[in-house]
Amino acid sequence: MGFQAKLRWYRWYHPWLFLALALVGLVVFRLYPIVAALRYSFTAWDIMNEPVWLGLDNYRTIVSDPRYLSIVNNTIWFSAIYTVGVMVLGLALAMLLNARLKGITVFRALTYAPVVTSAVAVGIVWSWILSGRYGILNHFLELFGIDGPHWLGESNLALPTVATVQVWKMAGYYMTIFLAGLQEIPRNLYEAADIDGATGSQKFRSVTLPMLAPFTFFVLIIAVVDSFNNFEIIYSMTRGGPNETTTTMVYSVFLNGFVFYRVGFGAAVAFVLMSIVGVFTAINFWMRRRWAEPVES
Amino acid sequence: MKVAILPGIRDGRIYRRQRASNAWRYLFLALVAAVMVFPFFWMIANSFNSKQGILSLPPNLVPDRLFTPEMFLNYQEVFGDYNFGRYLWNSLFVASLASLGQVITCATAGFAFGKMRFPGRNLIFGIILATMMIPTHATIIPEYILMFRLGWMNSYLPLIVPSFLIGTFGTFLFKVFFENAPMSLLEASVIDGASPGQVFSLVFVPLARGAIVTLLIIAFMNNWNDLLRPVLYITSRELMTSTLALTQFQSQYSTEWNLLITGAVVSTTPLLVMYAFLQGYIIEGVSHLGSKG
Repeated sequence: MGFQAKLRWYRWYHPWLFLALALVGLVVFRLYPIVAALRYSFTAWDIMNEPVWLGLDNYRTIVSDPRYLSIVNNTIWFSAIYTVGVMVLGLALAMLLNARLKGITVFRALTYAPVVTSAVAVGIVWSWILSGRYGILNHFLELFGIDGPHWLGESNLALPTVATVQVWKMAGYYMTIFLAGLQEIPRNLYEAADIDGATGSQKFRSVTLPMLAPFTFFVLIIAVVDSFNNFEIIYSMTRGGPNETTTTMVYSVFLNGFVFYRVGFGAAVAFVLMSIVGVFTAINFWMRRRWAEPVES
Repeated sequence: MKVAILPGIRDGRIYRRQRASNAWRYLFLALVAAVMVFPFFWMIANSFNSKQGILSLPPNLVPDRLFTPEMFLNYQEVFGDYNFGRYLWNSLFVASLASLGQVITCATAGFAFGKMRFPGRNLIFGIILATMMIPTHATIIPEYILMFRLGWMNSYLPLIVPSFLIGTFGTFLFKVFFENAPMSLLEASVIDGASPGQVFSLVFVPLARGAIVTLLIIAFMNNWNDLLRPVLYITSRELMTSTLALTQFQSQYSTEWNLLITGAVVSTTPLLVMYAFLQGYIIEGVSHLGSKG
């Protein structure tokens, strides 16, 4: 350590040379767009003409116009279904796959395969499976005498259906994260519980869950933020329809910015989205510091 | 303690319980595997259906062209009439350059954060981390206007340059890696008269081989699967990436499900094959993010 302090192996400008690419990226593609989005969000702008200053009008529209309130509503529903889905399924899969069994790595690999598949391909295949008339799912349900609906065509079903497909696609990702968490739980805790004669569910409640709690909290934050990543699956399955029932805020940014040419309004929606992500990032930082302190200092 | 446990495990009661629970586990595993694999199976199976076959009711459990001379007709059409080979090549080109660039950006930045001291170090790293979770979709409108003003529309520059220069996860990965790399290596090479550039490229880059491959694969897959930027920036047919081509296909030939699904098979196969061979690296990267990020 002392040697490290004495050894001058680089000049003052060397760190900046190494950082140059990342700094350009940070400023041009992260910081500038955040500031610019905020600036555009106070205007009405169709790209062709000069922007017109609106003040907070765009934000007022988002929280008062019923049409945009329902978009906020769709976003919350999509995120809720997605977050609960991937958390529960991810943990369940991780528990199931956290075993020394023959062929377990094959099963782990299979659950992860949808994660590396493009959302477009996933969207196409599931649209076909879920097709009201030709879809295999409804024909399967028919065997049990159930008359399957048009999953993607009905206003009250399309959103939960698309969200569930996204859960199917991403469950393997959360399984992998939870698996890493489970494998960090010291084995001797389970051995101790075995000696005390604990049953499987007792071990889950009194060893697994408490040991996994802080970890689960961070995964939850990752999942909530990740739930906004729904443009691709919506674009390839419903394009926001029917009747805008699957139009989420992310999709609305796309529609307003590049289809309706309401750049100012789209930027306002984007900025609301950034603020939500910002709040979750802040919570993440704050809790991480709180939990890390006793260990590190 | 170990002595106390060993007889317990050999005790028939516990052993039998273990075996029974394994049977349940395999049952659940089979169920999970079926749900995960079925859509892939159904996709591949339907790529061997004719236009009429795919619309037959009830659905063909055995595709009508399977094991006939016309079995690969959909593939011939997708590659021949619809030029999908070109789109695959485009995806490969874009994803390779973007991911290679991302590795360079992240490795150099991670090295600076991990092994050098300079004013504002913690502040800059904090800002990078703070912007980590902001999705591309939220910053896309200003980015689009920027690309428009730069005159980069309908080129690969808007697809490659942002991915090239931004990689928060990668920067984090390399920072941690280089921080933990032994200082003695650095000292030895510095005493031999190596410049910082040489220390980095000759000593630390070879050391970070695993992290480099992990990030390369993850970035490659993200870029291959990206849809938003190709949708916005690419307008001419010969520049389309495979995901964009697939969505175009979807709007233009919405009734030809057999071709659409064949296109989906063609555009996902390269990544699934890559994944099958390199999954260890991907899982490594994701687990790392989970436990440390």
